[in-house]
Amino acid sequence: MTSTTRRFAVSYVFLVFLPMIGLLGVLRQGRSLRAPVSVDGRWKLQFDPAQLAALPCGKALASVPDPVLAISQSGERFTLTTSGGLATTSSGVIQDTTLNAALQSSDSPGNGSGCDGDHSLTLIAKLDPTANPKSLSGVLSAKDCSVCAPVSFQAVRETHSEHKAGR
Amino acid sequence: MPNLFTLVLQITVILAVCRVAGSVFRKFHQPRVVGEMFAGVLLGPSLMGWIAPHFSAYLFPPSSLGFLNALSQIGVVVFMFLVGLGINPKELKKHGHAAVLTSHVSITAPFVLAAFLSFYLYPKLSDDSVTFTSFALFMGAAMSVTAFPVLARILQERDWLGSRLGTVAIASAAVDDVTGWCILAYIVVLTRSAHSASPMYVTVGGIIGFALLMIYGVQRLLLGFEKSYRDRGGLSENAMALMLLLLLCAALCTEWLGLHLLFGAFLMGAIMPKEHHFVRYVLDRFETITVTLLLPLFFAFTGLRTNIGLVKGQEMWMYCGLIVLVATVGKLGGSTIAARLTTMPLREAAGLGTLMNTRGLMELVILDIGLDIKVISPALFSMMVLMALITTFMATPLLDVICPDRLVWEGTERASKWQKSSVPQLDLDATGGSAA
Repeated sequence: MTSTTRRFAVSYVFLVFLPMIGLLGVLRQGRSLRAPVSVDGRWKLQFDPAQLAALPCGKALASVPDPVLAISQSGERFTLTTSGGLATTSSGVIQDTTLNAALQSSDSPGNGSGCDGDHSLTLIAKLDPTANPKSLSGVLSAKDCSVCAPVSFQAVRETHSEHKAGR
Repeated sequence: MPNLFTLVLQITVILAVCRVAGSVFRKFHQPRVVGEMFAGVLLGPSLMGWIAPHFSAYLFPPSSLGFLNALSQIGVVVFMFLVGLGINPKELKKHGHAAVLTSHVSITAPFVLAAFLSFYLYPKLSDDSVTFTSFALFMGAAMSVTAFPVLARILQERDWLGSRLGTVAIASAAVDDVTGWCILAYIVVLTRSAHSASPMYVTVGGIIGFALLMIYGVQRLLLGFEKSYRDRGGLSENAMALMLLLLLCAALCTEWLGLHLLFGAFLMGAIMPKEHHFVRYVLDRFETITVTLLLPLFFAFTGLRTNIGLVKGQEMWMYCGLIVLVATVGKLGGSTIAARLTTMPLREAAGLGTLMNTRGLMELVILDIGLDIKVISPALFSMMVLMALITTFMATPLLDVICPDRLVWEGTERASKWQKSSVPQLDLDATGGSAA
């Protein structure tokens, strides 16, 4: 074996084989890590439209026939879009199985959407991860409105095939 | 039915913005493709959607994006075929230990570092629908890829293709890409099989069978194209149509098998005959329309999915910085150390590391697949796109500083015949095939 070949072999062991063994160790150890629960996808919303329409900012969402909440998740954070034109820029966080988000209208104030000034909706929901398909239950309330009664809602995640058909 | 007015308007705006950005970047001695990638991000929610949301919503209504995506995917299918066409496994054998060690270390170093980084990022940027193994393997594959066509373009512009640095870089990048795509194929199968009705062994068996059929069966038939080219000095329209048909069939097969269209296209390119003039001829036929029309659509579509606004707050920017750091240390550092161990002078070795660190378009293709199969989240996708842009952008200025021309040619016996015997590369600046 020439010195070049020996050097190549030693380098190969140290720079390729050993790191590969390290990689296997990382993959093995990583299995015990826990990531936030998945809420990504489209959720069919169920609520009382009359109650929601009474909330500031609630009119737009309440007037939609089959309201859907689309969640785009990145770890503990997520962004929201609703079929009523609300919340195109809104975001929230997930802590364990609880979702907290603020829904703001993308429409300009005073256009009849019911959103004026700093009003926005707050969403607090609890996820039932054991349900199949997954479901959310929680309340929508108006921010900075102490006299407005919160509106309860339920949401069920669309399955993969439902999502494709809905596109 | 697509709204044709919207679609044509989108294409017009995308082409105009990409050409302008490409020309601006050329002024800074960057390959045009870097400017076009940047233009894609400008057209998305990161800039246009942020400063002119109404115009952005008018130009790119969500209902129209399916058609834009379809066109861009066809462009990427042809692009992957051309990348495969430029890969010649014999190149690696020619350059022996240096290329083998450099290429393998330039994969393992960023791969292992990315897996370690995944320990930290997985609980913060992923969710429980993705397993840690898929996440870590994807991050590794995405960080270890090299932009083969961009690298070839930089070497060509600097007239380094015949140098030792150039030949080792080309050979190593080819191995990187093939390995990266094999790993990605594994991840796609792993992820898709979780939602598939057919068991994983059926998918894996089908893919192996398909690959063997292509390599040992179809490859021989493809020699007929080269023979026809030699006999007639070109290929007939029927022959070109047949080549396209075979390419699309291969792409469809891998998609049907549960992999992805792009794998079939890449494999078809990789098994095509590698005679220099034949490859140049095929590249010339496909190059202009792919590079000037279809790839900008892909950049725009990727840009529309990139939302730098998701990288919000100190914490998220720190993750982004870590990703760029790990990708650069792994790829640039790993390749430099490996090349140095093969007795290459330090600055030349660092030059090789810098070249290997260009990720460019190949990275975007891989990231797009990752986002499609939901292995990475939208925020992580945006961070990785930024990493691809930064590592590709830094190549040219870094090379100017650490590896000037005279160093590259010092001690290198200029192999003038090399360019004729090796496989020509895709011209990402679409300056015409003869340039290569």
